[in-house]
Amino acid sequence: MAAMNLNKEQLQQMMNGDKPVLVDFWAPWCGYCRRIGPAYEKIAEEYGDQLVVAKVNIDEEGQLAEAERVEVIPTLILYKNGKAVDSVVNPGSKAAIDQFIQEALAK
Amino acid sequence: MREIHVYDLIVVGGGPGGYTAALYAARAGLDTLVLEKLSAGGQMALTEEIDNYPGFEDGIDGFTLAEKMQQQAERFGAKSAYAQVERMDLTASPKVLETSEGTFHARTVVLATGANPRELGLPHEAALTGRGIAYCAACDGMRYKGKTVVVVGGGNSAAADAMLLRRIAQKVILVHRRDTLRATKVYHAPLMQAENLEFRWNSVVTELLHEEKLTGVKVKNVHTGEEDTIPCDGVFISVGRKPATELVQGQLELDRSGYIIADETTATNLPGVYAVGDVRTKPLRQVVTAVADGATAVHMAEEFLAGGV
Repeated sequence: MAAMNLNKEQLQQMMNGDKPVLVDFWAPWCGYCRRIGPAYEKIAEEYGDQLVVAKVNIDEEGQLAEAERVEVIPTLILYKNGKAVDSVVNPGSKAAIDQFIQEALAK
Repeated sequence: MREIHVYDLIVVGGGPGGYTAALYAARAGLDTLVLEKLSAGGQMALTEEIDNYPGFEDGIDGFTLAEKMQQQAERFGAKSAYAQVERMDLTASPKVLETSEGTFHARTVVLATGANPRELGLPHEAALTGRGIAYCAACDGMRYKGKTVVVVGGGNSAAADAMLLRRIAQKVILVHRRDTLRATKVYHAPLMQAENLEFRWNSVVTELLHEEKLTGVKVKNVHTGEEDTIPCDGVFISVGRKPATELVQGQLELDRSGYIIADETTATNLPGVYAVGDVRTKPLRQVVTAVADGATAVHMAEEFLAGGV
């Protein structure tokens, strides 16, 4: 399944579900964000049954990004039971995203 | 024991050199795989507009060009994997590539791992890239027409960047940690005579000042320790590049800067191993020279494979 773009309400709803939620905070003007895009779609495909893999456009959801203290993009945050367990800024490879997810899930 | 799959050709790195090799290899009927750790394009993917790749008269953004190159290679049967190579044995037969996605084997290997600009290593540097921080004057210089820019560095690429920017920007300030340029003599006189160019010798950038975008830099004199602020719209970091050759150290001959020694044939010191694009020793590192290497490497690989090895 493709990574879904969520707004604040939708994200809140997802966080109340059973699955952990992975969010990529991004913006259309951000080159580094664009570069992780294809690998992130692959992540969505591979982890679809364990995780909700989502995206938040910080230009559209500025308040949400601020509330989550996202200062630099791309930032990936993994939420379990509605709480942020870990985050990573600008991962340099798909392998780095894999490792981040596995470590965050184990926390 | 399960028989291992041996590719005819594995490309390491999905930039323009890598995907051109994949295109030529796939079209030659070779069983071809590209290993890319993040997404197609390499350095090119971060270039907002490429105006010196022929055939795109209005320019094209690097990310899109990279996707096109990938799709073109895949149209002829080349495969791609999001794999980070962790170890390579290039002397084995077949050659062995251990990656984050498992181990792959190939008769020939094209190394297209590229080079990365050296960073200053300051906080927010990555986040401000494209928002005031740049690593390539030829790529991004035009965005600073009539503005104030800082160039950091004192070698040939910094000098070339300053030469280019002094014609575009209103004011150029060159910050260098020594008291003289390391760049070759040809640059000295024109730079010294340029009216809109100011030198800050014996100085290093210690902080990037920013709001949404970069607004200036803090500069420290390395002798006196004195610090002051230079307001500016852009900073071009030109402190060299580092080729991504850590994984082949000890297996391939490298030059003093770490580039893989290979001439126009792209052949390295190991049979069946080729180096294309920015990672190889060459006078000009551009998309057009990388794609040319990709084609040549496959020509050489075909000869090698036909030799019955």
